[in-house]
Amino acid sequence: MERQEIIDGIVEILKTVRTIDQEKLANITEETDFLTDLNTPSTELINIAAKAEQKFGVEFEDDDIDDLGSTVKDIVDLILRTKERG
Amino acid sequence: MILGGRKVAVVGMGGAFPTCSNLTDFSDKLFSNQSLIREWDVAVARNKQVRSTVSGFISEAEMNLEAIYSPLSDTYPEVYIDLLKRIPEINLSTADVGSIWAMLGSLDAIKMAGWTDVETQSEGTGVLVGSGGGGHVIQRNAWHSFFEMGKKSRLAGSHTVDRSMVYRDAANVSCLIKNRGVCESIGSACATGLGNIGYAYRLIAFGLQDRAVAGGVEGTSLETFIGFDAMQILSRGFKPEESSRPFDKDRNGFVCSFGAGIVCLEEYEMAKARGANILAVIDNYFNNSDGDGDMFYPSFAGQKRLWKGLLGDSGIKPDVVKVHGTSTPVGDAIELLSVVDVLGAKDYHISAPKSQFGHMLGAAGAVEFITAVMMLQKQEVLPCLNSDNLNEDLEKFQLTEKWEGSKSPLAAYRDLLPKQSLKKEINSITCLNYGFGGTNSAISISKDNS
Repeated sequence: MERQEIIDGIVEILKTVRTIDQEKLANITEETDFLTDLNTPSTELINIAAKAEQKFGVEFEDDDIDDLGSTVKDIVDLILRTKERG
Repeated sequence: MILGGRKVAVVGMGGAFPTCSNLTDFSDKLFSNQSLIREWDVAVARNKQVRSTVSGFISEAEMNLEAIYSPLSDTYPEVYIDLLKRIPEINLSTADVGSIWAMLGSLDAIKMAGWTDVETQSEGTGVLVGSGGGGHVIQRNAWHSFFEMGKKSRLAGSHTVDRSMVYRDAANVSCLIKNRGVCESIGSACATGLGNIGYAYRLIAFGLQDRAVAGGVEGTSLETFIGFDAMQILSRGFKPEESSRPFDKDRNGFVCSFGAGIVCLEEYEMAKARGANILAVIDNYFNNSDGDGDMFYPSFAGQKRLWKGLLGDSGIKPDVVKVHGTSTPVGDAIELLSVVDVLGAKDYHISAPKSQFGHMLGAAGAVEFITAVMMLQKQEVLPCLNSDNLNEDLEKFQLTEKWEGSKSPLAAYRDLLPKQSLKKEINSITCLNYGFGGTNSAISISKDNS
């Protein structure tokens, strides 16, 4: 799975998180930070991770969730890493 | 013991009412003797799983809300969209449907009160709002995901706590209006709405707060409905508009309804000084418990003590008694007989708003408090709709040796119970609400005559 394909999928998830300013989703890059760039409430990060698990057919380890950073790159890396682990 | 305190004014009202677009619509329908009770499609769809199918319910569309359902479950409203953009998204994300009604009612009530942001956001402003049930719609789906589907806890989302906790309605209102005073919920089953208003009254009267947003909520929920349906205590066998019939001899249960009632209370002199429109003045609030160890059965002695505590030696004699009047066989009879035991059998009227919209549970006391304020304003008594025939025989409990009340049948008090709304001079109204656990609440309000 290509990284851009995952980013596009994450943007689709973010469109369902209504507390995020939807206009900012047009310029998402791997460096975009959910907290500082999108003003995402911190309580929504776990919802984004859970929806990513469903969308990409993976189940993250609790330790990985605990250590997850707040950028798009962080979650793309985790999805790919989890897929590789099988 | 009654402690003297500061005078408290009612300065704003709002809420969510079945079939009604706003407070004016609610008032117009009630005083024109309409019923707000309908056949509930959600209950009907359950076929023989439920016994009763009528309710004073409110749909999401009727409140201009749209639910976004979770991919986990097509019955789990993950978040609501406010189609009229009255509530910010950040506040919607933490709210179940009842909390949204509480927030909408609070905005309307504050607007009517004419409070500025400085007043609303001060340390002197409290929020006291509660509901009878928990956030059942949210909890059921979260628990199903975990227990039945075996999913990880996070798949139910991170908002199951804030959307289902006991004081979610107060918390959501407080986060919306940003008050800096008290934020709490009183829970007392079907006396919850009046309990929160009474507690708010005491906080202001005793100088702990200057103003308060107070009331009760019960969000539409089949989960709540089926609990009462299982007890076989809901009305059955009548047309929807005839289902709630307090005091009528054929009554066979209450109509489980939903709604929200929110009021703004303010210390009287402050309200007067800023030129507020004072809708009513609260004379006193009193509450007690039956003390007989019975969770459900109403207590004649407990209700008489309630009246004694409320009226004391004040000399107040209400022109209208807004009763709890649920349309249950024993509850209505005990209540009517305790009222006449205290007030006699003439010179006042009894109003039973549940006859028009059913029993809103945790919202009942607050919504019915609003109907009492409307009666004061319109100088018109709301009816005991469907009280067509009163029992001409004595109730079974009146035949027992230990009965100490009236030995007359309910039919002897026909003149107290108007079948249609009735214009008359009204200076003072007493509101009564009771709840499971033997809890009793009463408040007395009057016109501002100064």
